[in-house]
Amino acid sequence: MSSEAKPVTIVMIEDDEGHARLIEKNIRRAGVSNEIIPFTDGTSALAHLFGSDGSGDVSASRHLLILLDLNLPDMSGVSILEKVKANPNTKRAPVVVLTTTDDEREIQRCYDLGANVYITKPVNYEGFANAIRQLGLFFSVMQIPESA
Amino acid sequence: MPISSSTLVRTTAALMLAGLAALLVIVGMSLWLGNRSQDHFNEVLAARDLRAATLDFRTALQDAETGQRGFLLTQDEVYLAPYNQARQELESHRQRLTNLLQSRPGGDAISAAINDAAAVKLNELEETIRLARAGNREAALELVQADTGQIAMSDLRELLTGVVQDADQRLAESVAQQRGSASALYWTSLIGALVIIAVVGGSAWVVILYTREIAEARRLLSTTNITLEERVAERTAELARANEEVQRFAYIVTHDLRAPLVNIMGFTSELEASIKPIRDYMERSDVAGDDQLASDARLAATEDLPEAVGFIRSSTRKMDGLINAILKISRDGRRPIRAESIDLTNMLQASANAIQHQVGELDGVIDVADDLPTILSDRMSLDQIFGNLLDNAVKYADASRPLRIKISGEKLIGNRIAIDVADNGRGIAADDHERVFELFRRSGEQSKPGEGIGLAHVRTLVRNLGGDITVTSELGKGSTFRVVLARDMRRFIGSMQ
Repeated sequence: MSSEAKPVTIVMIEDDEGHARLIEKNIRRAGVSNEIIPFTDGTSALAHLFGSDGSGDVSASRHLLILLDLNLPDMSGVSILEKVKANPNTKRAPVVVLTTTDDEREIQRCYDLGANVYITKPVNYEGFANAIRQLGLFFSVMQIPESA
Repeated sequence: MPISSSTLVRTTAALMLAGLAALLVIVGMSLWLGNRSQDHFNEVLAARDLRAATLDFRTALQDAETGQRGFLLTQDEVYLAPYNQARQELESHRQRLTNLLQSRPGGDAISAAINDAAAVKLNELEETIRLARAGNREAALELVQADTGQIAMSDLRELLTGVVQDADQRLAESVAQQRGSASALYWTSLIGALVIIAVVGGSAWVVILYTREIAEARRLLSTTNITLEERVAERTAELARANEEVQRFAYIVTHDLRAPLVNIMGFTSELEASIKPIRDYMERSDVAGDDQLASDARLAATEDLPEAVGFIRSSTRKMDGLINAILKISRDGRRPIRAESIDLTNMLQASANAIQHQVGELDGVIDVADDLPTILSDRMSLDQIFGNLLDNAVKYADASRPLRIKISGEKLIGNRIAIDVADNGRGIAADDHERVFELFRRSGEQSKPGEGIGLAHVRTLVRNLGGDITVTSELGKGSTFRVVLARDMRRFIGSMQ
């Protein structure tokens, strides 16, 4: 992963801590060593992304990659996606939707809102681990722009 | 009061008979009274004839007497002219009168008396005239003065007047009777007409009542039909809504179940990966015979832990399979369905052809009725529904007899159609008829591989199309699956929104 000026930070919004841990483990196995900041609910994740004033200025010069689960306890991942893509400071940050939902309409909606990748979590672990590792490899070659 | 059709027939028949009777009475009365009028008329004519004949006879007699008196007085033959004239006519008058009197009761006696008196009078007249001609005028006058002719004449007058009076009376009577007849005819006609009017009115009233009742019954029937159709539609919509809810529920539940399952499976793998170096290490290291702790640890690392992980893995795999099955069903409900025109005979024949190979191995025959209708429905759903049913029929065929599968259709109310898939397979016990449609439930000997999803899947698909599926079956004889479908799915979809 390019890390010229500032290293890329992976923001992981995933309410299931077990999933979060398994995702982190498999990303690391793919050789990605970037910082991963985990959030288990939407509110704290939004606070981190847009700051206490909600303007998003805090993310202005960050290099962000967002891993997003759609089923969160306090809000829908879709509304987080909407906010991220609507804010000028975060709209260029790649968003990877990683969730259990495989509903066709939901997938379409996410891409319509500007999601960059949509991945359905495979249930069996081999598939899951494989998908995350490939995602990690993908991360290691992709260019992440500065958010704003 | 409701009128049954038999009451109607009886009532109308009775009324018609009454009307006919009234008409016959009128006609009969008219004929009879007409006859009587004819009689009365004849009577009047006869009486008038008799009256005229009597008066003619009397006038002739008087003329004869007048001529005799004139001659006796003047001795001049000229004065005898009325007498001669009368004598010429008298005989024919007398004959006519006698004839007419013959038809009267007691007429013979009267005509005899008249004839006798007339003979006496005419004799007297003749005698006096003869005497006068012979110049013996005194003798003639004497004969006149003897009053024989006078008495005879007076008798005659009396008799003839009696006859005239009798004729007058008969005339009066006949006229009175004629009037009575006319009046009777009038009343008969009037009463008959009233009866006929009453009968016609009654019939009309009965028919109107009956027609009204029929109309009312028809209206009730159509209301019932509409209600029935509405109820069918409502029930179908309810069923579909319930189906949809179950599917949504299944979808949510399976997704929520999946998340922890991913953890269990993931960390089991991690655990397995972690156990491997421990086991390798334990297997390599020597353990002293008296070190109980070390040998326990070795046993745990090499046997107990791998065994436990193995059970966790197999159980989670099974759970994964079940969740996937539920997901599959819930996904069916979420797949958009598209109504298109489908010729059921063609479609089912194609489904039958698709399994022809397996059927042939069982010496089986599939018979698809060729009169199935064309319906508007979702082709993919129908393919899956009937494909599943046919697969089951083949799968659960009875090995002791060649397989026979029969597919037939039947029209139902509410614009629906039932399609029966009947086989002669091993059948389903009565207790299991509902159970076979439940998820993960199977019936009978578990001799064939399967997850117990097929029929649950089929039922979901059928209900998605606004239909339903039921089974009738006898163990050891065969099963008939009845799929009821809306002929036009769009109507059902419309009612869902």
